Amino acid sequence: MKIAVCVKHAVDETELKLDANGSPVLAGAPGKMSSFDKNAVEEGLRLKAKHQGEVVVFVVGTADSKKSLKEALAMGADRGVLVTSDPLSLDSFRVASMLAAAIRMSGPYDVVICSEGSSDTYTGQVPPMLAEFLGLPYVGYAKKIGVEGGAAKLERSLEDSVESVEAPVPFAVSVVSEINEPRYPTLIQIMQAGKKPIEELVGDQVAPLGDYSQVGVKSMSSQPSVRKHVMIGGTPDEAAAKLVEALVKEGVLK
Amino acid sequence: MKSVWVYSESESVSNEVASAAVGVAEGAGAMVQVVDIGASRPGAFSPGGKLLLKGPHPDITPALAAEALARAARELQPLVLLTGATRTGREIAARFAAKMRVGCMAEVANLSADGASFSGDRNVFAGKVVARVSCQFPAAATVKVGSYPKMAAGEGVVQEKEVGEVSDPVRVVGREKKAAGAVDLKSAKVIVSAGRGVKKKEDLPMLEELASEMHGALGCSRPLSADLGWLPEEHHIGLTGVTVKPDLYLAVGISGQLQHVAGMKDSKVVASINTDKDAPIFQASDYGIVGDLYQLVPALRKALASRAR
Amino acid sequence: MAIYTSEHRRLMEMLHPGRHQEYSEVLSSLGAFMEKEILPLSPKLDAGGASIAGPRRALFEQGMTLIPFPAEHGGLGLPFSVYATAVELLGSADASVALSVEIHNAVAEGLLRFGNASQREKYLRGVITGKTLASFALTEPASGSDSGSMATTAERKGGEFTINGSKMFITNAGEAGLYLVFAKTKKGPSCFLLEAPSPGLKFGGDLKKLGMRGSRTSEVVFEGCRVPEENLLGEEGQGGEYAKEILHGARIVVAALNVGISQIAYNKSVAYARSRKAFGKTISDFQLIREKIADMKTGISAGRLLYLYAARVKELGGDYASEASQAKVFATEMSLKACDEAIQIHGGYGYTTDDLHRHWRDARLLTIGEGTSEVLRMLISRKELARAQ
Repeated sequence: MKIAVCVKHAVDETELKLDANGSPVLAGAPGKMSSFDKNAVEEGLRLKAKHQGEVVVFVVGTADSKKSLKEALAMGADRGVLVTSDPLSLDSFRVASMLAAAIRMSGPYDVVICSEGSSDTYTGQVPPMLAEFLGLPYVGYAKKIGVEGGAAKLERSLEDSVESVEAPVPFAVSVVSEINEPRYPTLIQIMQAGKKPIEELVGDQVAPLGDYSQVGVKSMSSQPSVRKHVMIGGTPDEAAAKLVEALVKEGVLK
Repeated sequence: MKSVWVYSESESVSNEVASAAVGVAEGAGAMVQVVDIGASRPGAFSPGGKLLLKGPHPDITPALAAEALARAARELQPLVLLTGATRTGREIAARFAAKMRVGCMAEVANLSADGASFSGDRNVFAGKVVARVSCQFPAAATVKVGSYPKMAAGEGVVQEKEVGEVSDPVRVVGREKKAAGAVDLKSAKVIVSAGRGVKKKEDLPMLEELASEMHGALGCSRPLSADLGWLPEEHHIGLTGVTVKPDLYLAVGISGQLQHVAGMKDSKVVASINTDKDAPIFQASDYGIVGDLYQLVPALRKALASRAR
Repeated sequence: MAIYTSEHRRLMEMLHPGRHQEYSEVLSSLGAFMEKEILPLSPKLDAGGASIAGPRRALFEQGMTLIPFPAEHGGLGLPFSVYATAVELLGSADASVALSVEIHNAVAEGLLRFGNASQREKYLRGVITGKTLASFALTEPASGSDSGSMATTAERKGGEFTINGSKMFITNAGEAGLYLVFAKTKKGPSCFLLEAPSPGLKFGGDLKKLGMRGSRTSEVVFEGCRVPEENLLGEEGQGGEYAKEILHGARIVVAALNVGISQIAYNKSVAYARSRKAFGKTISDFQLIREKIADMKTGISAGRLLYLYAARVKELGGDYASEASQAKVFATEMSLKACDEAIQIHGGYGYTTDDLHRHWRDARLLTIGEGTSEVLRMLISRKELARAQ
């Protein structure tokens, strides 16, 4: 089974700094593999463990994105493909079209796996767009994947229901983070990952910017905190009574 | 006249998105059309009336909806398609955008348009930052659920458009309602939410009782549902779980990771209890108590009971 | 805030240009693992609500203990400074686990350096992979660093030694599967590899300690414990020298551990100083608090540079005994001061919150353990006076 997993080298939101105007400092901000993407890699590895084959990991971004590829390789993926591009000028459409081109070049694949969204921008648009560009059947928000012969049975987790669906192979899928618990690579695996092959493609060459209405960012600012930050002290009984009193005064406790 | 299309698989979300569409249509000099696929639904009408796409079976998957919308759009050339940012709505808008080769803004609120483009606000970096994003027409966008009032039901013209049959190689063979958790949480006025500070599963009933005494529902942070499995995943509040905005959010033993805060930061009042005074949850709280939940929860229940008397 | 920071990254780049990215990948992954799997357990380990076995096992499985050992023995073959940095990170995540792992690995280093081929073959891989937990049994109820005055004896008879006596304050005692035991033979202090369980090997109760409460410390008693001859490590009578050599390396690591403890106390202090308000200002606006923060940070940076310097001298094959001792004396005393200031910055909360004062309690051990500051100052001055001749 040939398995493609797409990951994002995302801005580490926990390390994100704001400038004096409250705008995030993105140039040089530390990156990491988007946390939910580890679930996508893990699912790819589990499918491989069951069906043999190969797991190839794709990322779009600057050279720094290799770190995310290496992490996936350390987890157990076989090789990586870096599609180089400046991530700050990309919207979901561009990312999906570059991934589609790279996947087509090294394909065909039986399964294309993404996570439900990235931990930094969380648009959740790349997986369905990618499926469209690749012309593959697609199941979003899967919490379970089982492949048997030429067909797959999946569970799709929606807001208020879980759908059981069947898809023909090949197919594309996005997974929710409940689907599995990603493994930690051991230090030995991390060191061996450096020897696994990484192919580099130039994004603008494999998927030239076509004529479409690109989404741009006009401005960014920090969310002003409107919380009161009142700390209540005293014995548990005193604190509890004070809290109840404050909440009643706020009109939120009947 | 150009039109702004509104489509959602959910009627109630469709009524919200219709409200969002009004502002966009005004700024762009267009009219709003609410789209139904397969069969007409009652609900929001706009001055532009309704567009009924005929052909597909009404029991429709995201792939079918996107294909039907794209076929109609190639002919009718709407300025923009707006859907609700539900799991299904995100897929429909993204697929539509890919088919039409247009940009797609994600989960936006405060939409506005000026002539040839439109803009909206969206949360990024787990809610730390608001980005104002924009896109030229034609385009697509998903509208943040809960950010607009529902447009009242009305009446108007229904334009019909035959798009022919569409098919999806993915077949839905079963559907099971999730436990009521998610639904209850979305409408609950008060939410008591449990985190890692709860030492064992057997302690949850104490919090359930507190929630019910406050006329509220019980939620949790991700570890309790995803890692420990103490509560069904429908109770998980956070970026990848349910997004809630109750009047009162009481976080009990929750440290307040960004991913969790992203799911509750629109709550009207937030109170929290944690043993760690440096826990980030206090930064996201109006009221905080540093202390042991095993002392404070009983104390709170006592305080509530004495008030009731 | 991640445990493995850009400062560590920069230092790796300075120490190991060309290889630093690989080392940083190893360390940042290990740091992320510790943050998720060890750090949250730390308060419970201190309070006795969790066992050290789980997190320690997890670290073994990650391969932390493999870092400084050669690939031919199943190690990662990475520089000692990378290993010392890993222990610093672990010191931030949990000091007790760090102490247990540090001593375990000191035994492994002794095996590697002084063991013969068949001893290495038999024990080294098991220890560095963590299959066998190791313990270092040198200190006695009446003797510490002066190994010459030890009372535990080993008597040779036929093809084996019989050990009698007792050891005190032994970390990992009762849990370990292999003890590096120092005992006097006719030829002087000698070193033995004793497998557990073993007839006549007994343990006292877990000692109630001021800090490092997650780790187990007790007395080890030998009542006619028999060890086959082939388990004599190196040469008979050389045990005292081996102990010194093993401890020189361990002191670098202990310095790193204390830098780690100081760093976590510092992180908490900065966060608190920025949020706590007094007289209408956050307390970080007050100069007296700023002075504390400046001094804490300066001490931590200096301690880190000292242990990395000693580690680098060791890597390059130089005599590092003085440097290792300097690093340990400075870093352990610095960390006591830093953790004390952390309590001061936190005010009443600092004195009453386990999760804060435990850093001071943990740090308190290591101006005593593995060479007291007093003994190490003697060592440093002796070495440096000789160097000045």
